[in-house]
Amino acid sequence: MATAREKPRPLIDNLTRPFWEAAREHRLVIQRCQDCRYFNHPPRSVCNACHSAALTFEPVSGRGTIYSFSVMYQPNVAGFGDELPYLNILVELEEQPQLFLVSNLSEVQREQVRIGGQVEVYFEDVDAELTLPKFRLIA
Amino acid sequence: MSWQGKGKTTIVGIGYSELSRRPQKSLGALSLDACRAALDDAGLSAEQVDGLATFPEAPFHGAGTQDGEQIVSVEYVMNHLPLAPDIRWYAQIETGLIASAVIEGVNALLAEACEYVLVWRALHNPRGRYGAWSGNRAPGDAQFMAPYGCTSIFQWHAMAWQRYMHRYGATREHLATFVTNSRRNANLNPNAYFYTTPMTREDYFAARWIAEPLCLFDCDIPVEGCVALVLTTAERAVDLRHPPAYIAGYGQNTSRRRALFHYSLDNYMESGHSLASKLWSSSGLGPQDMSAAELYDGFSPSTLYWLEAAGFCGQGEAYRFIQDGRIALEGELPVNTFGGSLSEGRLHGMGHIAESVMQVTDRAEKRQVPNASAVCAIDGSPMLRGSGLVITREP
Repeated sequence: MATAREKPRPLIDNLTRPFWEAAREHRLVIQRCQDCRYFNHPPRSVCNACHSAALTFEPVSGRGTIYSFSVMYQPNVAGFGDELPYLNILVELEEQPQLFLVSNLSEVQREQVRIGGQVEVYFEDVDAELTLPKFRLIA
Repeated sequence: MSWQGKGKTTIVGIGYSELSRRPQKSLGALSLDACRAALDDAGLSAEQVDGLATFPEAPFHGAGTQDGEQIVSVEYVMNHLPLAPDIRWYAQIETGLIASAVIEGVNALLAEACEYVLVWRALHNPRGRYGAWSGNRAPGDAQFMAPYGCTSIFQWHAMAWQRYMHRYGATREHLATFVTNSRRNANLNPNAYFYTTPMTREDYFAARWIAEPLCLFDCDIPVEGCVALVLTTAERAVDLRHPPAYIAGYGQNTSRRRALFHYSLDNYMESGHSLASKLWSSSGLGPQDMSAAELYDGFSPSTLYWLEAAGFCGQGEAYRFIQDGRIALEGELPVNTFGGSLSEGRLHGMGHIAESVMQVTDRAEKRQVPNASAVCAIDGSPMLRGSGLVITREP
């Protein structure tokens, strides 16, 4: 049963289902335009770059760099109170400039985080229905 | 192409309600106070008002939309002031922030749709934490951020500023100069929430983190209250109580966002410049002509981005530009002469417009910039949405 202590979960819709279903299988896929090859994330019904509707999901490497980061001190989000302060990173995937995913960076000291740092995806199985792609520093 | 409307419309009245954290009065009652004060300031009666415009958005999603309590709509003011029997024109806009509602009013006057327009911005101060996320299920784009605890606009601003510091070499020392300068100005502004509260650099560095690298004093001070303006044509303005402030130009930004994370900093110049270039081309003026700049500061770094995007300095230079007293009241370009949202209060840009009017009509008292002839008021964050006005002493 959902409680206020639980972290928010994605409200999966028709556009985003392939992303989350692949994550369940520990694969990172991003929607890509079959006409101009632009990656769209979050998924869209029409390509952001060329306005084509020919969009499918393709696997990506799961490697990227830390574009920016912040440390959150406010208990604004249910379920995160015990983790304060926590790190958020903005990952720019290597496939395309400005192709971003948000992640946490747990068990890492603030001092170890730097813009440009290399990261790779891993998959956190939250429960039987949900797996979250997350990123960790490459040593 | 220069704008046909330059100098043909004016702002002729300003009214502030009480601005406080937790007022006794409802937001609706405070808004009527502000509207009456603006009409009194103009020397007009309510029944002369035949045009209404506002931007009623709550300070963040989920903050409530009860009319008269959490927002104040066109319908609310129409029903609670003895206005003209037939309101000839009104607009309640959904985007662009309050400067866009002023722009709508300007256009209505130029189209002769009405004669006197009342524009107000009422801001509710919700209880609880700013931007708190209460839902268990995150829809739409939020589904890619909320499960990671990254839902608040200040977290996104924190990441943009982190990137800026990394890219250009800025530090919090640089930002402290801006924040404390704003407070110094607010200490000369009787409407400001922090009118009687000074701030030293030590105070700034002692403040708690909100989302590193932003601390408490990098965030605007939430207040509840309203500011109202009265607009009319230049012809009608000449007989009123105070000298009019002329609308010389306006602009709205063009922001084509593609990514999940539009606070990435990479688009701030392009999007911000799209607004500023319209300001300068419509008014036939440029940054070098501004006596002061009132630049949105919901979070402190936004003002620096605007300084660059509007051409007051080059890209990546704002953090150095603001040093050495340049943006102080007696400096070369006074910025946020009234204290901004950081120190006057969160009015989502209405304070910036009101102060621009005060400056070009010599009504800014202890914070008056001598002979201020032109001031720009820019609303919003260049990464998201914005609109602005150039306001002048002469038509």
